[in-house]
Amino acid sequence: MSIIPALKCSWNELLDNFIKGLDNAIVELNAHSIDTIAGALPLLLDRLRIMQNNFPANNGQIFKQTIDDIIQNAFFPENLTFAQSFEKILNSRTHEQDFIINELVNGFITSKAKAIASYSQGPIIDRMVEAFSKRNDFHIVDHQFYAMFGDPNVPRTYVMINLQILIDLFGLVSEELVIQKDIRKSEEKVYTFYTFPNDILNVLKKKYLITNPVTGNLSVSEAFDRNVFICLFLANIAVNRSNLSSIGGKYTVNGISAIFALILVLSFMPKMTATPQLLKHPSFSSPNVSISVIPKSWMMKKVLESIFEPLIKIIAFRLGGIQWCEAIIDTEINKKIHTQIRFLLKDVNKWILGELCRVEIPIFIEILNTIQVTLQAQQSGRTTTTP
Amino acid sequence: MKPILRETRRIIIELIKEDPVLLLSPAILNSVREKEEKRNIRKVRALSEFSALYRSNIYEIMNEFIEEFKAKLTPQLLADYIIDHLKESIEALNILLKITNPDQNNFQNTYLQRLVKYIEDRLFPKGASIQIIYQNLLNQSKDFFECQRHLLQPHTFYREKLENPDYFVIPGNSPKIYQIINNITSFYNLDPNYGVFPERPAYEIPMILKNEVFEPYIDSIAKTEQEAVEKVVDKIGLRIIDDLFLAPQEAFIDILMSNNFLRPAVQPSGKIRYIPQFSNETLILYYLAFASMRRGFLSKELINWIAMNFALLIYMGILKWKLSDDNIFYKIFKDLQTNEKILPYLMKLICFPNYLGMDKMKIRDSVQYRKEIFNFIGSQIDNLKTLIEEIAIFLDTAP
Repeated sequence: MSIIPALKCSWNELLDNFIKGLDNAIVELNAHSIDTIAGALPLLLDRLRIMQNNFPANNGQIFKQTIDDIIQNAFFPENLTFAQSFEKILNSRTHEQDFIINELVNGFITSKAKAIASYSQGPIIDRMVEAFSKRNDFHIVDHQFYAMFGDPNVPRTYVMINLQILIDLFGLVSEELVIQKDIRKSEEKVYTFYTFPNDILNVLKKKYLITNPVTGNLSVSEAFDRNVFICLFLANIAVNRSNLSSIGGKYTVNGISAIFALILVLSFMPKMTATPQLLKHPSFSSPNVSISVIPKSWMMKKVLESIFEPLIKIIAFRLGGIQWCEAIIDTEINKKIHTQIRFLLKDVNKWILGELCRVEIPIFIEILNTIQVTLQAQQSGRTTTTP
Repeated sequence: MKPILRETRRIIIELIKEDPVLLLSPAILNSVREKEEKRNIRKVRALSEFSALYRSNIYEIMNEFIEEFKAKLTPQLLADYIIDHLKESIEALNILLKITNPDQNNFQNTYLQRLVKYIEDRLFPKGASIQIIYQNLLNQSKDFFECQRHLLQPHTFYREKLENPDYFVIPGNSPKIYQIINNITSFYNLDPNYGVFPERPAYEIPMILKNEVFEPYIDSIAKTEQEAVEKVVDKIGLRIIDDLFLAPQEAFIDILMSNNFLRPAVQPSGKIRYIPQFSNETLILYYLAFASMRRGFLSKELINWIAMNFALLIYMGILKWKLSDDNIFYKIFKDLQTNEKILPYLMKLICFPNYLGMDKMKIRDSVQYRKEIFNFIGSQIDNLKTLIEEIAIFLDTAP
């Protein structure tokens, strides 16, 4: 049974539901907390109360700003063409944000058929990168694909189906080249080339092709990596968000909404003073990465469910309107999706000596700054209007 | 490759002695190449195909380089650059040629032995006990945890069997197993149950519900792992108690205690409770330590993967050491065709008893398989590149 009764997807009801969910979470936390660092629980409760009181205020202004303006802008652009979305996601890439982009895809463990990072397909992306980067026109021929992935133990149809799944996921296009007389057999032969749509090709050429100014030779730079494909995958979903069946259905909606909800919650978590033990730990004091300790009690099962169930719906509503919101699964599976959150974003959200640590990345800082500015504006609005 | 590089260097030197401007004409370089190709094809038929391939690559690269920079550099400077880069390439090949002694005489001082030991200490150390190995791995995990994790995860993991008929075989890690290990770590850190330590009744150890670990998986997609849970958790130092709970094995508890991953707390009942404070690497490193200690029982996939990584690190480390970053011939060395000629032999050498001591008979020879595992070269992780740089520094500073 779900803690919060299933609701129709209206914005106000979603906000009310969020407030009730946080009520539950606060009650649960007051009854039982697992944080051992002094002051962690009051800090966490304080943040949850701010979320409860201020996030839904002004018709959910903070949600609109953080989800529409920051998260969507970086990972899931709206009202743009496929190529524009792709370029935007590509431009918001930083080394740390690549972890999130990677997780966005690896996180889809629920969707076994459509997951592009499922069993054999993880390396397939790497091989596709290799195949596409060999030719400076970003084309691969189907035979090349079969030669790379053909396995004598697996029927060829399996490889063909696999290729088609990947083509659909990335929104690639195919071109046919008909040879009237093949040299070997003197028969007509059809070669199928796979490539990116024209607009995408232009973006790729601009970003990843290195031209030799004298010889005019073109080659693909090393920056062309698997995350380019993952950005393409996200752009494809962002553009086709209204056509659920073409983007993998309910599981995709649930997966993306859950990860964005996690990004939002992680961004607003309070930083705590690290224990001396943690400060001495080499992973924590690494000079290259900025890490902060955050409370861990929100990851307890009952608290997590209370926070995330309504939040995931809010995210879904902002990303894809009522259609997405209604696609959020309201059954026991929902709980499974919540529990997945515990092991998502493992590279930016990691355990060090039993404490939950967050790697500071640009999107967390941007979201936190926006929330704080809006909170201050809300505060000053209240003080000026109070007689 | 080496004779062709040496021959090319000689030709360039002679050419610039005659007149440096000759170098600027692609026609002259091409005519030299044609002449060389003709002569050699008659000589050694078996090797001629590779020679022609390498020679054409070398001449193509030189032509491109000359075309690109002829407006900016004088012919003499161009020739100097080419000769320097050829010299560096020959030096790198010289090191590879004498990487070890065929008769294993004085093998301790060979590059192969020193490099294998250097990498082994960081990623796959030997030791008298699992405690010592774990400790050594943990000492290196600050800098190389991602490499250590990578070493456990063969790209051919889909061929691994969780339930091998041979009880002792240690398979590689799949991404799903890695996810499950992460999940177990989270459960221990969040709100575990506690139960009596079977071997020491005065203590309580943390336990988590076995079924909870598999709760996030929808549509039974982790069914195989769930059925083989006993085998899976055995590799990460855990055991099943009462058919319900996952708890650390007795030996692992001592390791966890000595590394601060368990904290003792006295309970009102007088019992001492071990409270878990795991890090991401706690369980993974046990798996690696376990595999390292029983390296004679590794699965075929895992042996090939480990040997492949060691071979690649050694090869790339030597290249990084000898070749300058802007060496125009770098791409020949990084080409899959060159890798296929060099790495399989290195992989076998690395498995000999004086080096990694793994079963070299399990190194696969099929071309298809090589293609499959070499594919990972295109998706190297950043941490591996860091280690390659460290290896180059080690080679540069070692006496």
